[in-house]
Amino acid sequence: MNIVGPDYLVFGVDDLADAIEYLTAWGLKPVDVTDRGGLFETLDGTGVIIRHKSDPSLPPPLPTSNMLRQQVYGVRSAADLDAIEAELGKDRRVTRLSNGSIEVKDDHGFELKFQVTIRRELDMPAEKINAPGAPAQRKPNEIGVWEEMPALPRTLSHVVLFVPDIEIATNFYCSRLGFVITDVLKGAGPFLRPKANDDHHTLFFIRTPDYMKGCEHLAFHMGGPTELMVAGTRFVKKGYQSFWGPGRHKFGSNWFWYFNSPLGCHFEYDADMDKHDDSWVAREAPMGAESSQIVLFEMREKWAPGGPPPGAKG
Amino acid sequence: MSSHAAPTGFQQQGQRLCHRDDVAEGEARGFGPLEGSKRKVIVVRRNGALHAWLDACPHYSTGTPMAWKTDAYLNGERTHLTCHSHHALFEMDTGQCILGPCLGQSLTRIEIAVGEAGDVFVVAPCEGGVA
Repeated sequence: MNIVGPDYLVFGVDDLADAIEYLTAWGLKPVDVTDRGGLFETLDGTGVIIRHKSDPSLPPPLPTSNMLRQQVYGVRSAADLDAIEAELGKDRRVTRLSNGSIEVKDDHGFELKFQVTIRRELDMPAEKINAPGAPAQRKPNEIGVWEEMPALPRTLSHVVLFVPDIEIATNFYCSRLGFVITDVLKGAGPFLRPKANDDHHTLFFIRTPDYMKGCEHLAFHMGGPTELMVAGTRFVKKGYQSFWGPGRHKFGSNWFWYFNSPLGCHFEYDADMDKHDDSWVAREAPMGAESSQIVLFEMREKWAPGGPPPGAKG
Repeated sequence: MSSHAAPTGFQQQGQRLCHRDDVAEGEARGFGPLEGSKRKVIVVRRNGALHAWLDACPHYSTGTPMAWKTDAYLNGERTHLTCHSHHALFEMDTGQCILGPCLGQSLTRIEIAVGEAGDVFVVAPCEGGVA
């Protein structure tokens, strides 16, 4: 089963205008968006689909306050859809749609959809840095930052779910769908990557009471830590609310910056995540502030020191 | 001071939050943060009465800011104060969480009084909202 990762996350929101404003400001591109909602794309075509929570075309809501309605996974080929249908069809209803995609529920009742991935292949440079001892990545006269530099989400990176039972969740995604555990935060849960994606994680679980079940956050890969901090700074300047960051996680090594949202969960810019193959041995660490990040900063207003103290003569 | 969600104390008493006309019926706005606190104060008007709450969701021990954008503290239906971390809903006049991660917990009330000119000030703890 060659699952690539999330293509789309689908939300049923309580105020479409707020959600449309937010997703556009986040840096996503509205595609066929009307007053009934629609798709907001990253640069590679993955993204977020929103509808009003009363829209009958949505899958049913979770029995909590969470707005997540469906996770749409991309797979490499139609053969992978057949394999998923055969495996999950053993013990649950799998619905085959007219376009070939399949819909099914996981063991916690999260609505899933699998489709041949819509991801477009990106051909863009990563952030380039210069350091003594290594070949320069930027040519002479090639500058690193400028005021109007682009800083747009490149792809939908990962989803984090609040689940009441880590064992049930892990067993479903690993034993039934071939996900691999890359690391474990004990007391929270495991980081998972699917077979056809070498990112440290596209999925992470956090154990919570049943009444919290839902999406904790979704994350978007940026071109590097500078793009992440530029995008986040622009977002804060527009009045949006930072929740955690910027900083850099230990597991996954990805830079992070989380924000509140009107979609009932956090949105994260991330950058520079570790890659893994099947030779990797999962690490374990207790959940906590030390294990969650190697550095953490908080945004402050721009400031600059001067020369003499204010009011100095001469 | 290490606590992000320090309740108001002597240091905040007497500080001005806003004018009573700054917050219309059914609306919520954030003011501050007050001196000595990292968090803003949410002022909301419900059935004519003003209530003030520390902008700190009780889901996490340090309290976290609740808006998704400046002054955007309400849910889509504009019926409840909402933490836009995980969509916890709080009653505007009691601060009680009725849905979401901090179910059964409550926001921290900031006691306020309205002066003769209509300015809203933080005062020593007392009961209920003010007209």
